[in-house]
Amino acid sequence: MKWNSIRTKVLVVLAVCLAVGVGGTLTLLQYSFAKNSQALAVEAVNSAERLFKILEDREISKMDAVSETLLMNPDVRDAFAAKDRALLLELTSPLYSKLKVKGITNWMFHSPEPDMVVFLRLHNPPQFGDRLNRFMDNEVARTHAVVAGNELAKAGFALRIIRPCYDANQKLTGYVEFGEEIGGFIHEMKKQTGDEYGLLLSKKYVNQKFWSDSSAILKRRDNWGDHPGFVVADKTSTNENVIAFQGDLASVAGEGKVLERFNDGKSVFVRGIFPIRDASNHTVGAMFVVRDISSVYVGMRNTQNLLILLSVAGLVIGAVVMLTLLNRLIFRRLEHIIVVATRVVGGDFHTEIKVGSRDEIGRFEQLFEQFRCVFVDLLSNVPEFQEKE
Amino acid sequence: MSVLYDLRMLIEKKIERDGLDETQVKGEIGLRTGRLVSLISTRTPDDPVAIAKMSQAAKEILGISL
Repeated sequence: MKWNSIRTKVLVVLAVCLAVGVGGTLTLLQYSFAKNSQALAVEAVNSAERLFKILEDREISKMDAVSETLLMNPDVRDAFAAKDRALLLELTSPLYSKLKVKGITNWMFHSPEPDMVVFLRLHNPPQFGDRLNRFMDNEVARTHAVVAGNELAKAGFALRIIRPCYDANQKLTGYVEFGEEIGGFIHEMKKQTGDEYGLLLSKKYVNQKFWSDSSAILKRRDNWGDHPGFVVADKTSTNENVIAFQGDLASVAGEGKVLERFNDGKSVFVRGIFPIRDASNHTVGAMFVVRDISSVYVGMRNTQNLLILLSVAGLVIGAVVMLTLLNRLIFRRLEHIIVVATRVVGGDFHTEIKVGSRDEIGRFEQLFEQFRCVFVDLLSNVPEFQEKE
Repeated sequence: MSVLYDLRMLIEKKIERDGLDETQVKGEIGLRTGRLVSLISTRTPDDPVAIAKMSQAAKEILGISL
């Protein structure tokens, strides 16, 4: 290889351009892939959060409709106004059995303020007369309007709705409350998405006595002591990695965030977290979500590999085409001129230079051919060559 | 006789012996030395520079030491 030839120089420049092009393409594709993977992971967490909110809204609407319909029943209304607990239980317990199947786990009647004690618990009838003094109790007493939100009580952390009750004369007789354990939501979410979920509550906002009581009522193990900073309200997987978290749950930012992306065998998962707020808008815990993104991820990876292959192939083909073009248009024609010039000097006066085209090299070929003719004409007058001819 | 002419003879012998392309070889030597090999005759005056160039070209192109 001649290092001072234009062909070598062009080849080196093309090789450098090829390397830079391939490197740049790879970097760009890698950057794009990382960005898309992150967007995919963020979307997985955000969609889980959206689904949770949709379920929350749906269940609030359901409990709102049930409570409103219930209070339209004069028998129930009058039994509560008369504070006839036995009759109220008799009238409502058949409905509670049906609502329980639909996910409503808590149903309570509260006496009006200032006492505001539990008058009847449909989910635990023997227990009544206690005062809960929760945020939602105080809020409904203050506003006398429907209050909805998440709150912990003796029957667990639940999505609740409390509605004021009035007698036939529109006098406040107390409040009716329905609730659904949020833990149940995650099983519904898993059914819909196939993702794994874990609901954790910060101990800062959970009363240990309430938690123990609710565990007893719901006939589940009291897991208060399992983790130092939080309690596991429910999870869809037995894998503890779903809920692995270092830090304070209550400090989880307003938006959901991606914690990690990990591989398990050939599958790719993304794990994220989004905050759970109670009725007073405190971040009381967090929902963990683990989504299998293998299909999209592998699809993205395959597309990336295909793009890399196409880019490299494109650049190599481009370089080959460029070299071929340079060879045909310049190098081969220059070499032909050199060969002819050499042969003329060597005594061959018959090999002509054929002008290939009218480009720059063509003009040079033409000029050189004219020069050759002059040279041959000159030599034809030299006796030594005349003898040879 | 001239040294340059002797060189020409040696080059032509080598070309003939090896069956080389005469015009091509003479052309290459001519371009290197700046003179037409076929025009070198017994009357060509010896020029040390031309002799050196011719020897060098023959060595490089034909691999012969003159």
